[in-house]
Amino acid sequence: MGYEWDFGIVLRNADLLLLGLANTLKVTGLALAFGLPLGLALALGRLSPRRWLRAPVGLVVEFFRSTPPIVQLFWFFFALPLLTGIEIDPFRASVLTFSIQSSAFFAEVFRGGIVSIERGQWEAAKAIGMARGQALRRVVLPQAVKRMIPAFLERVIELMKTTTLVATVSYADLLYQANNIAQRTYRPLEVFTVAAVLYFVVLFPLSLSVRGLERRLARSGETTAH
Amino acid sequence: MSEQGGEVLRIEGLRKAFGATEVLKGIDLSVAKGEAVVLLGASGSGKSTLLRCVNFLEIPSAGRVVIDGTAVGRERDGAVLYREAELIPIRAHVGMVFQHFNLFPHMTARENVMEGPRTVLRLPRAECRERAGRYLAKVGLADKMDAYPSHLSGGQQQRVAIARALAMEPRLMLFDEATSALDPELVGEVLQTMKDLSDEGMTMLIVTHELGFAYAVADKVLFLHDGRIHEEGPPDELLVRPREARTREFLRGHASFRLPEAEF
Repeated sequence: MGYEWDFGIVLRNADLLLLGLANTLKVTGLALAFGLPLGLALALGRLSPRRWLRAPVGLVVEFFRSTPPIVQLFWFFFALPLLTGIEIDPFRASVLTFSIQSSAFFAEVFRGGIVSIERGQWEAAKAIGMARGQALRRVVLPQAVKRMIPAFLERVIELMKTTTLVATVSYADLLYQANNIAQRTYRPLEVFTVAAVLYFVVLFPLSLSVRGLERRLARSGETTAH
Repeated sequence: MSEQGGEVLRIEGLRKAFGATEVLKGIDLSVAKGEAVVLLGASGSGKSTLLRCVNFLEIPSAGRVVIDGTAVGRERDGAVLYREAELIPIRAHVGMVFQHFNLFPHMTARENVMEGPRTVLRLPRAECRERAGRYLAKVGLADKMDAYPSHLSGGQQQRVAIARALAMEPRLMLFDEATSALDPELVGEVLQTMKDLSDEGMTMLIVTHELGFAYAVADKVLFLHDGRIHEEGPPDELLVRPREARTREFLRGHASFRLPEAEF
């Protein structure tokens, strides 16, 4: 069976696809910008010596790790407005969902990195008179973050792929645009091939840099926190 | 031996339990200014725990720690309560050297030594640099300032760790088996550094297995057994004519210790 490939259709709609890619990157970037600090806060909460803080934070993290992101997205988009009476547009619902969702995963990356630092480092910091916060900032986190970078990049790749779910609430990301074009032109083969290639072009270099970093860290005799 | 002054450290009835296991069962001891006191004892006798109770890396279960005449903690209903905010300035004035050095691997030797003065004492950067240089020179590492710990030998790392503690200009230095993790050929340089410190009048509480060092440097030797001070005395008595059978047995276990050939 001979299929006549026609990428001209894709080229004619290139502006829509690139707009979609830009929107995908926008949601991913904002989710990262909010998710990383929130993730660090959650990790510190989970590592807190205070039980009243540790237990609820742990529950929140586990909840967002153990529920499908699409359910979370639908909840923020359809259910939250019913509860609060505040209308939320697809863009905001998407950023909100993926900031919180990714923060739960980043929290575990941060926590893994922090607990991978030997107790002796905390003790040495304490022994020269540092408070817990100073020890964390000056001694533990700088070492932990280095070990966490590969796991972080891994999560960023996951995050960008998961954001394709925003198409289901009609946010015009790359997948949503591709789907629209495909339906309009009856050319799903070309359109989705190009969409896949666009995701690949962004994520493959990230994936390569993860492996490069892991090799470099392994050479310098350090472990990575996964 | 060093000149003696007032009392820097006094420990009264100190107890420490981990769960149901009581590691320290009532310790009393006193260290005068300029004194070097050596704690001996088999592993598990509680000597490291005792040291760690002095700078509150471990919180004592009972008893008092008195530093420079001030009892640490607040007594209420027979128990002693400790607040972290109160312990921080105490740790800043009591230096500790660990068995495994615990240098900060992401900082150079100089940065390791600067860290306390900079972050804890909040001294100006230039002063911290100057201080770091001075103390690194003092431990014989003026030429290794910009080296990272991973590029230093064990003995050099431990000397950086000593400089890091000294840079806080502590009233008291604690040494927790500072040479136990070192290759035999590197032990001497660290012991020499410690001896120099003692000769200059630093007040020191030292856990060690180096009996030759104890003999040469200590003003007082304590033998810990089963969470109590089993015997104490000046080194030329306790190490030479121990009164207690347990002490004799412990000393016999260190066959390499021969008094006349002691290195110091």
